[in-house]
Amino acid sequence: MAHIELRGVSKSFGGAAALRNVSLDIADGQFFVLLGETGAGKTTTLRVIAGLEKPEAGQVLIDGQDVTRWGAAERDVALVLQHYSLYPRYTVRQNLEFPLRSPIRPTTEAEIAARIERVSNTLRITHLLDRKTDRLSGGEMQRVSIGRAIVRTPQVFLMDEPLSALDAKLREALRAELKDLQISLGQTFLFVTHDQVEAMSMGDRIGVLNRGSLVQVGTPHEIYRDPCNSFVARAVGAPAINLVPGRMAGGTATLGDGLALPHPGGAEADGRGLIFGVRPEDLQISAGSPAGARVNDVENHGVEKIVTMTAGAHRLRATVPVTLKLAVGDQVRFGWDAARVVLFDAASGRSLRHGG
Amino acid sequence: MTEIALRSVNKHFGALHVINNVDLTVHDREFVVFLGQSGCGKTTTLRAIAGLETVDSGDILIGGEKVQDRRPEARDVAFVFQSFALYPHLTVYENMAFPLRAVGQRRDEVDRTVRRVADVLQIGNLLARRPSALSGGDLQRVAIGRALVRNPKAMLMDEPIGSLDAKLREEMRVELKRLHVEQGSTTIYVTHDQIEAMALADRIVVMHEGRLQQVGTPEQVYAEPANLFVAQFVGSPVMNVANVVIAEGQARLAGAAQGFGFPSALLDQLPPNAPLTMGIRPEALDISLSAVPGAMALEAHLIEPLGSHDIVDMRVGDGVLRARTRSGLVPGPGTPIWLSADPARAHFFHIETGQSLGAHL
Repeated sequence: MAHIELRGVSKSFGGAAALRNVSLDIADGQFFVLLGETGAGKTTTLRVIAGLEKPEAGQVLIDGQDVTRWGAAERDVALVLQHYSLYPRYTVRQNLEFPLRSPIRPTTEAEIAARIERVSNTLRITHLLDRKTDRLSGGEMQRVSIGRAIVRTPQVFLMDEPLSALDAKLREALRAELKDLQISLGQTFLFVTHDQVEAMSMGDRIGVLNRGSLVQVGTPHEIYRDPCNSFVARAVGAPAINLVPGRMAGGTATLGDGLALPHPGGAEADGRGLIFGVRPEDLQISAGSPAGARVNDVENHGVEKIVTMTAGAHRLRATVPVTLKLAVGDQVRFGWDAARVVLFDAASGRSLRHGG
Repeated sequence: MTEIALRSVNKHFGALHVINNVDLTVHDREFVVFLGQSGCGKTTTLRAIAGLETVDSGDILIGGEKVQDRRPEARDVAFVFQSFALYPHLTVYENMAFPLRAVGQRRDEVDRTVRRVADVLQIGNLLARRPSALSGGDLQRVAIGRALVRNPKAMLMDEPIGSLDAKLREEMRVELKRLHVEQGSTTIYVTHDQIEAMALADRIVVMHEGRLQQVGTPEQVYAEPANLFVAQFVGSPVMNVANVVIAEGQARLAGAAQGFGFPSALLDQLPPNAPLTMGIRPEALDISLSAVPGAMALEAHLIEPLGSHDIVDMRVGDGVLRARTRSGLVPGPGTPIWLSADPARAHFFHIETGQSLGAHL
């Protein structure tokens, strides 16, 4: 059980700032995901919490206790990395036993056997226990790595892109397994990834990092529907959100070149430069809709079609049902779900709902 | 006219049969995608067409001529790799002009061609830059441009956008397709990414263990998979698969007392009382929060909110089923739900061979 807190943590490597004044609060028992691109500072944050990096400023607290100066071994955290670090000449069982045979935390033989049985049942690796780890597939190895981390019931699990080296199908299966595991263990998980699908599907809350700063923290729904700025808006969702510059006046959004769509707006939106954020599923193509566009590309993904269209000077992407017949070059009419359109200030990129 | 044909092509790497008796015709101006996992033989097949690998037996025809014994440069095909092979000390212009100068083309012709191709790729403003000053997407555009200037008979591409980030890949997909429409060159494109294959291909060739599993349009491969491998390789989340027995108007799930009620017009096409594998895509499952006659009463186990929609996991019998629902439909784990399946989108496969039984409404 652990509540993790970062207060104003900064860290740089040779003059390059990796973390800038990051404050973060992860409640006990929460599945928290840090989402960001390469170099955003996600792995550094994780390593600071693990005690593998010392911050230059700020504090790390676990259950209210300042552990900033503690070593990694004293913090009782378990780390799972992208590349499984298993002992190749040992069996799965020996690999799982290893953390329990540490002289710092002596465990009885009966207790070791009981824990390994429980962990291998949870991860469905019981049939692999006597196999050498070099005889395992990628997915099996990653499950054993996770098993080695959970066998010792640490206070906190820290996971650094544990699924990214696996193929798509396996990633999907392990995503659900990990979430399931976290719910049944009830432990605090901090999971780091660049994959927005992983972040959305697993996180109770998501923290979005950009160049060392924490931009927004929220539930997947909040991050997706109410992003605080256009960076966060683009960080989640595939196809990416449409960001269209324009203006608002008297209940009409004008997107240049005579392209106008109804929008209830609000006094603060009128007469200023705006960016309209429209998710592809919130654009509807149907006859009689208010705006016109030309179809540039149609991708049939089986479950839905992704349509790229040109409206005035803008290129927009819409997801539509596969049953909708469309061809490149077609002229279509489209509208939007105005209540779901997010307004950003054109200069700062901040959402008007977040003080932009 | 550039048709590319493979006739009974075989190749071994030692004991590994990496291209297993492949027959395929890629039509003039067609965009064909080879789709499969690493090691399935897709890249080796592409390299054999380019002349970068020899074959053990069979014929490779480009434009009706047998080329399997010709050197790569005599085949007149362009090759684009995942890693952009540009000369770092030359400008974008010089990089693109290089293949034309190498064959002694006149200066004004070179200039005209480079500018026309740069225009198509929308890199006209980058011509004076060096590769080190370009982004990943621009680098790949230049690499494609260099392949295009020669106006080759065919374009062969090996995961050309595999190393780019997700958002850039989405944009480059549309660009590549537009380019293909404009240039019209016969194209073979290799990828392990089913989304790219669905998005780009006129026809997809699904490969596994050196064999062609299915050749068809994206719609065919998605909606009428020839076997279980294809069914589970294309689509995300993957198609649900469960062992069932047909009895009493139901496809009853292994290890469960319940099953999907299907019309007899469908079930009569299937052998009764014998174990089968049933496949159903997450979007062909329907979840209701109130009781529906004939639906299975279950409990939501996990909910994955993806923003535009949710994926709901349920435990049934020996396995897990996943359904795609509108965002927020199922409020949380443990919610009682009623699950039914669209019989028109149910698939049935032989339990051992995995081949489709061809039963459908």
